[in-house]
Amino acid sequence: MTPSPTPWRLGVDVGGTFTDVVTVSDGAIDVTKTPSSPQDPSRAVLRGIEEAQVETTGDTPYTALETVAHGTTVATNAVLERDWADTALITTEGFRDVLEIGRQARPTMYDLSTSKPDPIISRDRRFEVTERLDERGTVETPLAVESVEAVADALETTDVDSIAIALLFSFENDDHERQVKTVLEGAGIDASFSLSCDVHPEIREYERTLLTALNAALKPRVDTYIGNLEAGLDSLGITAQLQIMQSNGGILEATQVREQPVRTLLSGPAAGVQAAAHIAASHGFDTALTMDMGGTSCDVSLVREGTPVRATDLEIGEYPIALPMISIHTIGAGGGSIGWIDDGGALRVGPRSAGAMPGPICYGRGGTEPTVSDAHAILGRLDPDSFETGERDVTQTHIEGLVADKLAEPLEMDVEAAAAGMLEVANASMERALRVMSVERGYDPRSFALVAFGGAGPLHATALAESLEIPTVLVPHSAGVLSALGLLVTDRITEQSTSMVRRLEEIDPTDIEARFERFERESREKLGADVDPERFSFERALDLRYVGQSFDLTIELPDEPLTPALLERIVERFHAEHERRYGHAAPEESLEVVTLRTRTREGIDPPALTDRTGESGAADAVTDERPVQFEDASHETPVYDRTALAADVTVSGPGIFEGAGSTTVLRPGQTARVESDGTLIIEVNE
Amino acid sequence: MADTSKNVDPVTLEVVRNASRALAEEMNATLVRTSYSPNIKERRDCSCAVFDSNGEMCSQAETMPVHLGAMPFSVRSALERFPPSTLDPGDAILVNDPFHGGAHLPDLTLVTPVFLDGDDARDETPIGFTANRAHHADVGGTRAGSVAADSTEIYQEGLRLPPVKLYEGGTLVEDVMEIILANVRTPDERRGDLRAQQAANETGRNRMQALAKRYGPETFETAVAAIQTYAERRMRHELEALPDGTYEFADQLDDDGQGAKDVMIRAAVTIDGDSVTVDFAGSAPQTPSAINAVFAVTASATYYAIRCLTDPDIPLNAGAYRPIEISAPAGTVVNAEPPAAVVGGNLEVSQRVTDVILGALAPVVPERAVAAGQGTMNNVTLGGTDPRDGTPYTFYETQGGGFGASASGDGMDGVHVHMSNTLNTPAEVLQTAYPLSVERYEYRPDTGGAGTHRGGLGLRRDIKIRNHKATCSLIGERRRHHPYGIQGGQPGARGSDHLSRDGTERVLDAKSSQTLEPGDVLSIRTPGGGGYGDPAERPRSNIERDIELEKISLEMAREVYGYELED
Repeated sequence: MTPSPTPWRLGVDVGGTFTDVVTVSDGAIDVTKTPSSPQDPSRAVLRGIEEAQVETTGDTPYTALETVAHGTTVATNAVLERDWADTALITTEGFRDVLEIGRQARPTMYDLSTSKPDPIISRDRRFEVTERLDERGTVETPLAVESVEAVADALETTDVDSIAIALLFSFENDDHERQVKTVLEGAGIDASFSLSCDVHPEIREYERTLLTALNAALKPRVDTYIGNLEAGLDSLGITAQLQIMQSNGGILEATQVREQPVRTLLSGPAAGVQAAAHIAASHGFDTALTMDMGGTSCDVSLVREGTPVRATDLEIGEYPIALPMISIHTIGAGGGSIGWIDDGGALRVGPRSAGAMPGPICYGRGGTEPTVSDAHAILGRLDPDSFETGERDVTQTHIEGLVADKLAEPLEMDVEAAAAGMLEVANASMERALRVMSVERGYDPRSFALVAFGGAGPLHATALAESLEIPTVLVPHSAGVLSALGLLVTDRITEQSTSMVRRLEEIDPTDIEARFERFERESREKLGADVDPERFSFERALDLRYVGQSFDLTIELPDEPLTPALLERIVERFHAEHERRYGHAAPEESLEVVTLRTRTREGIDPPALTDRTGESGAADAVTDERPVQFEDASHETPVYDRTALAADVTVSGPGIFEGAGSTTVLRPGQTARVESDGTLIIEVNE
Repeated sequence: MADTSKNVDPVTLEVVRNASRALAEEMNATLVRTSYSPNIKERRDCSCAVFDSNGEMCSQAETMPVHLGAMPFSVRSALERFPPSTLDPGDAILVNDPFHGGAHLPDLTLVTPVFLDGDDARDETPIGFTANRAHHADVGGTRAGSVAADSTEIYQEGLRLPPVKLYEGGTLVEDVMEIILANVRTPDERRGDLRAQQAANETGRNRMQALAKRYGPETFETAVAAIQTYAERRMRHELEALPDGTYEFADQLDDDGQGAKDVMIRAAVTIDGDSVTVDFAGSAPQTPSAINAVFAVTASATYYAIRCLTDPDIPLNAGAYRPIEISAPAGTVVNAEPPAAVVGGNLEVSQRVTDVILGALAPVVPERAVAAGQGTMNNVTLGGTDPRDGTPYTFYETQGGGFGASASGDGMDGVHVHMSNTLNTPAEVLQTAYPLSVERYEYRPDTGGAGTHRGGLGLRRDIKIRNHKATCSLIGERRRHHPYGIQGGQPGARGSDHLSRDGTERVLDAKSSQTLEPGDVLSIRTPGGGGYGDPAERPRSNIERDIELEKISLEMAREVYGYELED
C-alpha cells in the first residue's frame, strides 16, 4: 500500500502588482509570488498555483489539496472603475429615484464643483410597479401584475442582463418582490435577478436598494470570473471546493458567493486583518491595532477579543455599504506617496502616489518625484541597491539630488532634514488614522499591540508606537504577504439578518426564537451538510434601541433559547452597553428590536505557524552596517538578515531587519525578540 | 502680505496643523458619541473648534457650514464677560444669546479654558480654549422645537443665555442648570446633551495639554500662530489672484411670513489686492418676524461663500478670515438688533446671503462660481398623536433641492445646498416611527435652469397623514423668486407646497401653519438650481441624455434649448 500524499492547503491573494500564493504542508509555510494579470486575474491565480505546487510542495498531487481559499478584488475593482453589467432596477411606484437621491447630502461641503457618485443604475433603467406594503408588511395596494408586464415590455428593448428588485418594506414581507421576479420570468425576461429581501432584508430603503443594485451590477462579472477560475482548477485536477474570502472576515464556498458578490468588496484587505488578528492572538494579544501599509495607502483596523471589529457604515467607491464588514480606515499614505510643498509653504505628503510605475526614485524605473520610500533611502533605512525591480542603477546621490531640488532647497533645509520631515508628516497622518480607530471609538491604545504589515508598515510602526505610547509592536514573519496567509486561518462564515421593528413589550420570544432557528437551519445548509456538527457554532444578536432613537446597538445573545427571562437579561445588557459606549443609559425608557442577526461559523484548525526561524545569533545575522538617521543624530546601525535569526534571539536598537518582503526599523532604545513563528516582538516604551 | 516672520519649520507647521485638526475632530466624535438627542447624534447638527490663548480660532472640525464662522463670536463674547486672567481650570462658559455671540437660541455653545498644568494651574493664564456648539431640540418659547416662524420678538423664541459659567472649577453650577431645565420642554434630553458638550470640551482640553507639553508651551504657541499665518497667507494668495474692483449683487427673500413681500439683501464685494470687503448696505430693515439674521450668522454665510470660491484645502482658522472684512448696517435683516426674533436667520437668511455673495463674485471667477441653488431648507414640522399607541409626536425635517450649475458641470439633483447638509429620514423609518407615510420621493423634471450646464433638479416629497389629525408648519423660500442662473444660464424653477384632500389639490403658503385631516397628502416641491452658460451651447447629446432620463421633457427641451428631433 503506497503512503497517502501529505495533505496541503493553499491561500491565494490577488494584489495590484503581485498574486501571492501561500501553501501549508506538514506545518511548513511557503510563499510564491507571481505577477498579477489584471485583464483576467484568474490566469495569474492558476499560474501561481501551478508554480507553488511544483516549487513549494515538491509536486504533492492536487488530489491531496484540501483547501483553496481566495481573496479577490474583482468586485472591488469593478466598483472603483464603475465597470459593471447593464442593470435595471424595479421599485415601488414613486420611489425610483431613491437610488440616486441617497441621503440628500452632498459629498463635500466647500467644493462647489463636487458631484454625486454616478447612480449604479441610470434613471432610464429604473422602473416602478404599482404595489404598497405598510410598515408591518401588510398589503395596502396589491401588486398590479399589468404594471410588471409593462416593465417586461420596456425591458425587451434594452440589453439589460441583470435585474435588481427593491420594494418598500420587503424585509417584512417578500411576496411582492418574488412575484415581480416570477412575472418577469414568465414574460420571457432572461436575466440574473437580485432581490432586496435576499441581499439585505433590513430597514432603510436607500441602503437596501443600493446594495441590491450593486449586487445585481456585479453579479454577471463575478459569476464569469468564478466560473473561469473553477474551470481552471478543474482542469488542473483540483477537487477541493473553491472558497472565497468575504468582507466580514469569513470564507464561504464560491457557489454561495457568486449569488452575493457584494459581500466580497473587502475580500483582500479583510484577509490581511484576519491574519494580523490571528498572529496577535497567538502571542497573547487580544486587543490590537493593525496597519497594512503598501505603496499608495495605509489601512488601519482594530482587533478586540481576538476578532477584527466589524462595522456597517463603510464606503467603497463613495457608496455606503450597510453590510457587516471588517472595519478598515484607509488613508492615502504609502511608500509611494509623494512629498510636495503647498502654496502656503508647508511640506505635504500624499495623497498622490508614484504608484508602481514609475514608482519612487529609488526603484530605478525613472521616477523623479520624492516619495516616502526615497526619504527612507536617504536616511539609511532602505537600501536602494536592494530593489531588484529597477532597470537602471540608482545611487544615493541621485536620490538626494532630486529631493534637494524638489523639496530641500525650496524649503531651505538640508536633504536629511527634508527626508526626516517627510516621514514626520506621513507619520502624523497615520497617527491620526490610528487614533480614529481607537481613541475616537473610546479605546485607549496604551494597552494595545500594533501589528504592522504590508511592504512599508514595519518601516513606520515603531515610530508611531512611540507617539501613541503603544507598548508593543508585532511584525509578522511574512509581513509582505499576510493577506494570503490570512485566508488559511479564517473560519467559514455565513450571516443572515432581517429587520423587524417591534416594541419589546409586544414581542413574543417564541416568534423570534423560531426565526433564529430558521436562519440556523438555512445557514447549516449553506455551509454544507457534511460538516462535523462539533465545528458549527451559531452566534445570535439583536439590534436594539430606545424607542424614538435610531441609533441601534448590536447585542450578542448567549447560546440558549430566547425566553422572557433571557429577554430581560438582554435588556440589562443593552443599558450597560449603552452606558459604556455613549456614557449614559435610560433604564426607565422602553426599547424596540430593529434587526435579528445570526452568524454561523464552521471553525477551521489554523495551520501551526512554528519553526519559521533561522539558526543564527544576532551577531552572525548582521549583513551590513550603515549610518541611519534617527531624529537629529546619525547612528551606526547593524542590518540583520531577518530570515537568518534564530528563535529567542534578542536585539537592541537601533537596527534594521531586512527580509520577507519588508524592512523593519528598530529605533534606539527599543528591543526586538524573535519568536519561533518568525514574528518580531518589539518592546517600545520601557 | 502679512507678517510671516514667526519661525516655525515647515514640518512642525504641518504636524501641528494635523494635530490641531485631529483635536477638533476628536472632540466632535466625543460629542456625537455621547450626545443624547437624535438631532446631534444623527443629523450631526453640531461643531467643535479649538482656539489659541487670544481666543483666535486655530482649527475646526468641518461639520455644519452655518456654524463655520459663527463660533469665534461666542468665544469672544465669553471672554469679554470672563477675561482669561479670571478663569480657572475646570471652568466652562455657556452662551446662546444671539445678541451676545450666539446665532439663534437652539444653538448652545460651551467654551472651556485650557491650562498647561491642568488642574494645578491656579495662577496660570489659559494656553487656549476648546469650544463646541450643538443645536438643542428645544429651548422653550412658544412652540415645541423652538423654531417658530411667527415669532415677532426674541422673548417668544425661548430661553436666552448670555455667557454664564455652567462649570466652575470642575463642578457643575447647579443653579444655572436648574434654570435651563425649568425652561425647556425636554429637560432630560437637554441635561444629556449638555453633559456631552462638557465631555467633548474635556476631551479637547486633555489633548491640547498633551500637545503643548509634547512641543513645549513656546513652540506650541508659535506653531499655533504660524498655522493661522499660514492660512492667512494662502487666503491672501487666493484673493490676490482675483481682479480688483467692487462687485454688487442683490437678491431677495420671498416674504417675511407676516405679510410683507420681498425682503432685499444687497452686497457690495470689494476685492482690493489681497483682501476683500463685503458691505451689506442697502439691505432691508429687520423684519417683525423670525426671518432675521444676527451679524454672526451673516459673517458665517460670508465666510462660507468666500471659502467656496477659494482653495478648499486652506485650513479653517482665524487666519483665513483675517483678509475678510464685513460691514452690515445695524437694524437690517442681516444684522438684526434686539429684540428681533432670529430663528429663521440661520435657516433661510443665511442661504440668501450666500446667494448674494456668490452672485456678486460669479462674473469675477466664472470658472469657480455656481448659479443659485434652491436657496432654502424647506422646513416641515408635523405633530399630533400617534393613533397606533396614543403617544404625541413631533416630526421635523428639511428637504433638498437643486444645486446650481457651474463651469465644471450640471448642478447636483436633489441635495441640500450651501448652509445645510443634514440627512433625510428614510421613508421606511419615518413610517415605522410616525403615523405618516411617504407616498412619493422623486426628482422634479423640468426644474433645473437651462444652460450649457443645467441646474440641479428639485425634489418632490409627498407625505400622507395616516388615521389622525396633524398640525403642520412650513418655512420655505424661493416660492416667488427663482434661483438665478449665471453666465447666460436660465433660472431654476420655483418651489411650491400643495395639499391634497378628497381628490382636490390646493397650493399652500410656504410660511404657514394648518391642521391636516386623516388621508391628507402634503406635497413639498422644492426649487431647482440655476443654469450656467448659454442654453444654446448645451451639447445636443446632453440634452438627449436628459430627455432619455426624463430629467427634462421633450416639450421643455424644445422651448428652452430649441431642440428638434432628427428624422
